[in-house]
Amino acid sequence: MKRLYFFIGLCLLIISPGISSAKEEVVVYISEDRVFSEPILRDFEKDTGIKIKPVYDTEETKSTGAMNRLIAEKNNPQADVYWANEPIRAIVLKQRGISIAYISPSSEGIPTIFKDSQGYWTGFSARARVFIVSDEKNAPDSIMDYIDKQWKNRAVMANPLFGTTTSWIASLFVVWGDEKARDFMEKMKTNGVKISTSNGESTTLVVNKEFAFSLVDSDDAVNAIRAGKQVKQIYPDQDKNGLGCLILPNAVVLIKGGPNQKNGRKLIDYLLSPETERKLAFADCAQIPLHKGVDTPADVKKIEDIKTINVNYEMVAKKLQEIQQFLKKWTKY
Amino acid sequence: MVVKIKNLFKYFDTAPAVNGVSLDIRQGERLVILGHSGCGKTTLLRMIAGFVVPDKGSITIDGLLAAKDGKSVIEPENRQIGMVFQDLALWPHMSVYKNLEFGLAAKKISKNERNERISLILEKVQLSEFSNSFPSNLSGGQQQRVALARAIVMRPKILLMDEPLSNLDYDLNSMLRKEILKLQEETGITMLYVTHDRNEAFSLATRIIVMKHGAIQKIGSVNEIKMFFKY
Amino acid sequence: MSKKLTILITIFLFIVIGLVPVIAMFVKSLFVGGHFSLESYSLLFKSRQQWHLLFNSLFLAGSTTFITVLLGVPLGILFGKTDLPGKKIFIILFVIPLVIPSYILAIAWFYCLGRSGIVSGLFGREIAVVTLNFLFGFSGTLFVLVSICLPVVIIFTITYLRMINPKLEEAAKLSGQWFFVLRKISIPIIAPGIFLSALIVFILALGEFGVPSSLRFDVFPVESFIQFSAFYDFNAATASAMPLGLIILFILVAERLFLRKKTTQMTIAKESILKISLGKAKPFLFIAVCVFTCITVVVPLAILVKKSFVLWAYKEAFIGSIDSIIRSLLYASAGATLIVVFGFFLGYLLEHRTFRFSYAADSIAIFLFALPGTIIGIGLITLWNTRATNFIYASAVIILFGYIAKYTALSTRFMAVTFSQVSRSMEEAAQILEVGWIKRVWGILVPLVRKGLISTWLVVFIFCLRDLDITMIVYPPAHDTLAVRIFTLMANSPEEIIAALCVIMALITLLPLFILGLVTIKRW
Repeated sequence: MKRLYFFIGLCLLIISPGISSAKEEVVVYISEDRVFSEPILRDFEKDTGIKIKPVYDTEETKSTGAMNRLIAEKNNPQADVYWANEPIRAIVLKQRGISIAYISPSSEGIPTIFKDSQGYWTGFSARARVFIVSDEKNAPDSIMDYIDKQWKNRAVMANPLFGTTTSWIASLFVVWGDEKARDFMEKMKTNGVKISTSNGESTTLVVNKEFAFSLVDSDDAVNAIRAGKQVKQIYPDQDKNGLGCLILPNAVVLIKGGPNQKNGRKLIDYLLSPETERKLAFADCAQIPLHKGVDTPADVKKIEDIKTINVNYEMVAKKLQEIQQFLKKWTKY
Repeated sequence: MVVKIKNLFKYFDTAPAVNGVSLDIRQGERLVILGHSGCGKTTLLRMIAGFVVPDKGSITIDGLLAAKDGKSVIEPENRQIGMVFQDLALWPHMSVYKNLEFGLAAKKISKNERNERISLILEKVQLSEFSNSFPSNLSGGQQQRVALARAIVMRPKILLMDEPLSNLDYDLNSMLRKEILKLQEETGITMLYVTHDRNEAFSLATRIIVMKHGAIQKIGSVNEIKMFFKY
Repeated sequence: MSKKLTILITIFLFIVIGLVPVIAMFVKSLFVGGHFSLESYSLLFKSRQQWHLLFNSLFLAGSTTFITVLLGVPLGILFGKTDLPGKKIFIILFVIPLVIPSYILAIAWFYCLGRSGIVSGLFGREIAVVTLNFLFGFSGTLFVLVSICLPVVIIFTITYLRMINPKLEEAAKLSGQWFFVLRKISIPIIAPGIFLSALIVFILALGEFGVPSSLRFDVFPVESFIQFSAFYDFNAATASAMPLGLIILFILVAERLFLRKKTTQMTIAKESILKISLGKAKPFLFIAVCVFTCITVVVPLAILVKKSFVLWAYKEAFIGSIDSIIRSLLYASAGATLIVVFGFFLGYLLEHRTFRFSYAADSIAIFLFALPGTIIGIGLITLWNTRATNFIYASAVIILFGYIAKYTALSTRFMAVTFSQVSRSMEEAAQILEVGWIKRVWGILVPLVRKGLISTWLVVFIFCLRDLDITMIVYPPAHDTLAVRIFTLMANSPEEIIAALCVIMALITLLPLFILGLVTIKRW
């Protein structure tokens, strides 16, 4: 009989988190790397006393579970907040009617191109798409160097089917139009641009001097430099008339019908605050704050000092879905 | 009449294992079914016990319909039958006493009565001092007696025995045969005994059924069957 | 409660928990915008990528199976039939890669062969480029999968060798050398066992998620998810799972037709089996096996331990993960307990063939075992994510459902084998004594199969503990297990911490195995 009670107790213990929702808590799905997001969320718990119930995934490991679950759970939402590692996913959620508008007081001061005008998503702490170069004297300074004969067989980039590389290509399609962008892609091929599996691998290839340069995320470049590698980071196309450098902010989204809307809003306010941006700038992810005047370490540029590609992320998201087939063909599937 | 069997059929795949058997088992008799292996005698026994459901025909036990035409009406545990298995099936994780007690306890018989009945029966099979031994520590003959005791202690309406002595050497076999006879005479229990061994059949039976190819070839007294075989 | 009712309830629950989600997912995929449509499926036939992925998956699973059998059978014979020294230690070492989460091995090899790994430090970058090219893609995935699946074949070979009637070999030994006896008698007799192990390896490799995703080889279970997320299209993902489902059904039919009858005819021999004396070849074989063990098992584990060997890493890893560790143990024990209950009744059904659909329940279990966990996961979400069933979906129950769906096949088969070792008259003897079904279960069956129950529990426990793909998809907020935690932490975390977490994971998995070892060594 004792065993029976024990068993029933065990069952209740397992079910209990499912039925107790009276506590102060907030459910958040996260696509930003766990190693960077987890400390921020723990700080939130400490500062507010609201318990975080997280579901993590990371793009690097190709798990992409959080995003799928948000879509699957549309009719019975479990999450309050989604922390995306780039705006594209947030925009898909808006298109699918999964998110709800919320303009956080903390979003004030974040440039308008980094947030949805109706408040369906708001960007913060960003990565930039920058060059990592192995030779400081003779370095590329524009993405056009990818198709420059001078660099034939010496440049590398990550697989454009995944992650931030996809967003970068899609943004080129938006800014240049399909024809010019396709032409650029074909010329990259003829110029012998090597495709690596990830930005991390691209970084190592350049660090090892196997290739001269690669476009990577700014955190990859900063981390390589901080680790004492003989490489340099260059923001491409910074001339007065240059294209500018692509900025990919994190994006935060309030989920429609989530169980703890009030706490969800509090978490969004917290994530969008200059203080969180400061922490993410000083962390290993070295992300660029989108509020002006936030402290950054010496090797993280301030947003006001960067010439950025002026692109509508909503159009990038749309384009990204359109060019999937082309990209698959391009990478020879 | 303890058991009444009417026109029983059982097919395995498409071949009949039991092919239209009808028979009555009378109160207090020692009925032996004699036949070669594969003649259907064990299947018949298992149908009476309820482990096998007949495809056609009926089995009545003590006036109650137990099985009919592919349906089991009374489950084995409710047929009040005792059985000694060919491999004895003594539970290795229980002592002799526990082996005997298990069925009684399931029937919710009081502790005192259980004790009484078990010691009585153990005395009868001369195993009183082995009450706490485990089956693996007993000799072949002793195990045989435990199996017998376990079946009888429940006071079943009929005792089924499926070649219980077939694995024993000649001396032990004849000794145990005598003990079984004695026990049956003392208790007056109805017994159905299945064997392929004519000697066993002739020494135990009051009546013998000879089975062949799933059907009854001959029913008769020991002498009649001896004549039949020109023994 | 009668026997029939118990078993029917068990089957019913198993179908609801395991099969219905998959069916629900399939049915849902047939409706586009509320109307019946085969659009998702016609798209599938036009997509070249899907067929490419399917080919990759089959090719990987096929190659893994081929190499594993080629290596596993000789090793099994060496460990099971010869006087090779240190056999038991070898067996334990070989089993380790199977029981820890699969991607841990991939991580270890990455630390060794990667661009900034150990090889690079020792032999220079040029060599590291070569090793890295080997590691990433088909060759590396194949290598890691072989080291994971090898113990399956080894253990089956050893077990089946033990079950050969020794007289058959003795008779042959009178007229020939051991090589001849093995080739003409022993191996043909254990062929069904080898086939069965090959089948299991094929299924494990086909559904594998962790290794190919870590080593970036495009296979179905991984890529269906990428495509699934790129287009956010459930119907397409379901449709793309269909060819794989059909292949699994085909394998099931093959198993039923060719293997079933043959494999159940053996029992554990009570007499001692003949041992082969290796003679002069002994030292050479010993060294060869040592080297092989080092390459496949010892080196990667040593790398992990070395990499993690800084105190702060363990402190950091342990403090951050203590909740996940406790959850892992809790869910795996609860899962194993439930799965053993299912396996007890379904295994009983399979062995005793109480009803006509005995095989059907087993087939469903095997089908679900072979189906990639990612698919079962999507099915579970499809079915249970409603307001009314939130108490299931938002609690750990959904994880347990996933475990039951996936791993009941293991417990069913193990228990069926265990029941086959127990004479049926043991239960009949109680039945005839007017003992009811429940009392028979507790008084006779459970005690008689106790050892089998414990072993099955431990095996299932380990599989639940190492599970990644299902847990990853369905875990409710704040319910991640250690296997999931490591996998989600991998990106950009300090390598020392990941290595430390992998070592902790390996330790908590090996602990029950160690207990199992104690139990079985006592029995041998």
